[in-house]
Amino acid sequence: MKEPKAWLRPVVALLAGFLFFLPIYLVLVNVFKDGSAIVSNPVGLPIPPTLDNIQGVLSRPDHLFWYGLVNSTEVTVISILIVTAISAMLGHYLARSTGVMAKVAMVTLLCGLMVPPAVILSPITEVLRALGLMSTVPGLILAYVGYYMPFGVFVFAGFVKTIPREVEEAAAIDGAGAFRAFWQVVFPLMRPASASVLIFLGVWIWNDFLNPLIILGPATGTTVTVGIYRAIGEHQADFGSVFALMFLATLPILVFYLAFQKQFVKGLTGGATKG
Amino acid sequence: MRIRTLTRPERSPATPGRPDAPGERQSPTVPKRSPRRPQRSRSRDGLNRFAVFAAPGLLVYLALVLVPIGITIGYSFTNKNPFNPPTRWVGLDNLTSLASDDEFLTALGNTVLVTVIVTVVTNAGGLAIAMLLDRRGWLYNALRSVFFVPVVLSAVVVSVIWQAILVDDGLLNSMLGQLGMSDPPGWLSDPSLALYTVAWVIAWQGLGFCVVIYLAGLQGIPQELHEAAAIDGCGPMMRFRHVTWPMLAPAVTINTVMSLIGGFKAYDQVQVLTNGGPGPGTTSTLAFQVIQTAFNGNHVGYASAMAVAMLALVAAVSVIALGLLQKREVSS
Repeated sequence: MKEPKAWLRPVVALLAGFLFFLPIYLVLVNVFKDGSAIVSNPVGLPIPPTLDNIQGVLSRPDHLFWYGLVNSTEVTVISILIVTAISAMLGHYLARSTGVMAKVAMVTLLCGLMVPPAVILSPITEVLRALGLMSTVPGLILAYVGYYMPFGVFVFAGFVKTIPREVEEAAAIDGAGAFRAFWQVVFPLMRPASASVLIFLGVWIWNDFLNPLIILGPATGTTVTVGIYRAIGEHQADFGSVFALMFLATLPILVFYLAFQKQFVKGLTGGATKG
Repeated sequence: MRIRTLTRPERSPATPGRPDAPGERQSPTVPKRSPRRPQRSRSRDGLNRFAVFAAPGLLVYLALVLVPIGITIGYSFTNKNPFNPPTRWVGLDNLTSLASDDEFLTALGNTVLVTVIVTVVTNAGGLAIAMLLDRRGWLYNALRSVFFVPVVLSAVVVSVIWQAILVDDGLLNSMLGQLGMSDPPGWLSDPSLALYTVAWVIAWQGLGFCVVIYLAGLQGIPQELHEAAAIDGCGPMMRFRHVTWPMLAPAVTINTVMSLIGGFKAYDQVQVLTNGGPGPGTTSTLAFQVIQTAFNGNHVGYASAMAVAMLALVAAVSVIALGLLQKREVSS
């Protein structure tokens, strides 16, 4: 089919993309300008660029960025590894089970997909307090593991159906126990599902705001996301350093996303086409 | 966990090389029964498998999602307030107070409005942009990534960016001023505008998600359908109405349900952009109201009643939306 005005599409697409991207462009250029240049010329390119804002954030006396970076990395990496391991085993188990209890467990887990965090946050603080984990990094990790378990099970249980049972039976005949058959044969076959879970949860947990704000509290420090929130409270007018903090806080997850971009979109659309 | 108990290749009784086979009397479809011992170890084996593969996940889910939901429901019948003990059972008092609580009703109305705006804008805009970008080539690939970047950003980061643009002396108003507008709107400070601004920011961030899902849907439509419709004399509008739109039904379902659930969860943007203001509760959403009441007001019992109402609402809306949309998928 030929298009009547073929030049129109790229022009409109470019214009739409440009308008849409404008807010992000504003951050990118202003990170590299000094305060007076941000106020006088917010839209212009940073000529000459300055690294003062970034250096200012990196050398803050309260180490807000560095502590946040350590906490965010620790929480994100450990949470996503635990959720992936546990939900892969559970999703596989439930998808292969035929009993009524497995069906009930599956439906209960899927209901958990739509529970808003605000609904259960207050009781979670009590459960964590009872376990002695309130205001600690392990407590925050545990909260994420519980909350994101349904998503992991959903992805893995859907994927298990594409793996023939014969593969597992062959491993069993070759002498592998159930544990070994799962980790050495089935789990490697579920790599696309693992990639989706790791990437989605990596982005969600890194970006999360409410849970670290409440569970970690002010005493034990902060994640990068909460750090940004605290920083805007402190110096509302100093957009240079807030933008620099945002830039630095987003850089790790943006690099992570760009590295796995293909899998991310594949994971997103894999679920969509299945309906 | 021993192999003998797992399914093994069935042997037909008449297999050559097994002279002692029971032979003709046994039907070849009936597998040979194993003796008792493996039978017993099979149930122990099942228990072991459950303990290793299912128990850890179920336990964490139970302790950190199901039990908290139970606690929330329990508290919703009490006046619990950790700074004002003792806790008393108040029955349905909390729920009846909610029905006449202006703050709660405002938050409920705000949440519904934000959710509807976000759902409509992300779906309509997402579909339009997906159709615009549904071509091959480096330009379209690059633009797809551009629209997706906000999805990867934290809602706090997105809110701070938009705050810098939308505050009264922010970038947008200074640009409007340069264009000659003498009294630019207070996007975040005008009580009649602020809620729409919050909804816009949420929609801007969610748009890329819808674009990707709709693009996948569009690419799944066989070209032959469009060609057949064109041969039958359908113009672009008719082709969209009778080919594209019905074929996109599963993508519409995903995007609508995701935006509905996302709208109900809205918290971060409210906290960062307006902190519920300007004025009392003009932009407070249900999630924001629950957190405020529980952690700043310490009225845990009352907040729990709100949370239960919110949970019921989310469940009802998702079930109804899912039911309606999936029916459309089947019938079209």
